[in-house]
Amino acid sequence: MDRWFLLVATALAAVGGITGVWSVRRGVRSPWTVIWMSAAFLAQLGFLSIRGESRGACPLVGLGEILAFLAWSLTLFYLVVGPAYRISLLGVFTAPVVVIFQGLALLPGGLEAEPQRLSGTNPWHETHAAMSVLSYGALALAAVAGVMFLVLDRQLKDHHLKSGLFRNLPPVRELLKSTIRLLWLGVALLSIGVFAGFMMPRQGGTAHLVAACVVWSSYVGFLMLRQWRGLTGRRTATLAVLLFVVSLSVFALV
Amino acid sequence: MELVCVGLNHRTAPVEVRERFAVPTGQLGDSAKRLLEIDGLAESVVLSTCNRTEFYLAGDRAERAAAELRRRLAMTHGADSDPHWYEHHRSSAAKHLCRVVSGLDSMVLGETEIFGQAKEAYRQALDAGATSGVLNRLFQRAFGVGKKVRTDTRIQEGATSVAGAAVELAEKIFGKLAGCRVIVIGAGDMSRQTAQALVSRGATSVFVTNRSFDKAELLATEMGGRAVPFDEWQSVLAGVDVVISSTSAPHPVVLPHHIESVRRVRKFRPLFLIDIAVPRDIDPACGDIEEVYLYDIDTLEQLADEARARREKQIAECDRIIDEELKKLNLPGT
Repeated sequence: MDRWFLLVATALAAVGGITGVWSVRRGVRSPWTVIWMSAAFLAQLGFLSIRGESRGACPLVGLGEILAFLAWSLTLFYLVVGPAYRISLLGVFTAPVVVIFQGLALLPGGLEAEPQRLSGTNPWHETHAAMSVLSYGALALAAVAGVMFLVLDRQLKDHHLKSGLFRNLPPVRELLKSTIRLLWLGVALLSIGVFAGFMMPRQGGTAHLVAACVVWSSYVGFLMLRQWRGLTGRRTATLAVLLFVVSLSVFALV
Repeated sequence: MELVCVGLNHRTAPVEVRERFAVPTGQLGDSAKRLLEIDGLAESVVLSTCNRTEFYLAGDRAERAAAELRRRLAMTHGADSDPHWYEHHRSSAAKHLCRVVSGLDSMVLGETEIFGQAKEAYRQALDAGATSGVLNRLFQRAFGVGKKVRTDTRIQEGATSVAGAAVELAEKIFGKLAGCRVIVIGAGDMSRQTAQALVSRGATSVFVTNRSFDKAELLATEMGGRAVPFDEWQSVLAGVDVVISSTSAPHPVVLPHHIESVRRVRKFRPLFLIDIAVPRDIDPACGDIEEVYLYDIDTLEQLADEARARREKQIAECDRIIDEELKKLNLPGT
């Protein structure tokens, strides 16, 4: 049953993305993307609640559950940030990322068929896992906004101004502001996650925590550099994308 | 019941003819009311803008009344204007009004100002008691059609002037222009128009520099900005978001090293450079700097031309909507 919810969520996000792209090709903005993504969010909630019920804890065991939780977190931030800051096309760029995360989670072996109930859960552990994945949702959306900036920047630089994509993308300054806000939010949540990681009872090696600290330091260093010295929009956006991809890869390995 | 539109516009009459028949905005209602003295006329609306003067007439013998109106105009304003007048009768008059309100008959295709001007003309005629069943229905429907045309087509999409194209690009870079700071290098007419367009959209802190400081001061006063001596313009560069350059210098005035020297102070914020001079004022190498978006006159003109062409392609679709909507009206006299 839980798999079906995730499958439906993936299909809804895919439909949202495809209809969004189709509208952009016609030079108009689709009001439906946010609706498809809201429906996908509800289906994601269905998946997470069933898995959470089975686990008796936050469902963050194994790569499949982590990716599904990350996709939920990304969708959540999109639904909060997109309409609030009127960032058009954010949904069109977010939907494929959600589809990829959930598609990977649905691959054979990604999700345990019979999730075991977790015994002796620790609140620090729960906080660490939930906050870290939530922070990754915000950082993923910052990367999505970064990609949007890079696309618009290239079009403006090359004077390619005819496409529906150009007409519907938000202004350069708005995209940069959103990227930075999301990065700060992601780093704040990650800070709580890392702090909780230090407080939780340690099992096995410390590679995971070391990786978390390196990721946290990289993001903080990046934001400090931008704050005090300044960075061009292109470098800010590129770093937001690169740091997200690299840190996600690091956690997939440790 | 007959419906007639008698008028002249920028296509049929030069400005020296149009200005003779212009009716001051405050007198449109009175003029419409006075027209009802003509025998056979029951209703009238007078529309007068810088590009047109039109009389919309309805009555049992409106066509004869239109001829009488033209005779009177020839007597009072001179017979030489007669070839410049056009007449639209019945459904053609109704369609003409819808096209006017939709901006299809305007000098700048798809412009929106005419909609407000037609509304004001109708309001004054209504207040003066010069309209009744036919023109009330026709004008109200025309306003509905005008809105539909603008909503359902791309007739007003894209800027059709260099200044408008520059403003659209500035908005694509900065979003709302409120708080945007601008420096104008060279106090020529093109830079004035572009700066004015930016200011009208909220740009503040306009700095003006020119080799002749008097001209800079004059334009700065006009813009509510500040004049800067020509050899000091680089000191302002760190604080601005938009540079408009239009000097008659034979060599580039804005060079990459000018921008490189203020990048750190500007914290690498986006900078929009608008070069509307020929020969160009801004070294094209400035466009290679990451946060700089450089546009010259050719690119801006090309954008404006493309927008005009896109609007022209929409005319057939607009006419289709107008025909469809007028069919639903079933108005006496059409």
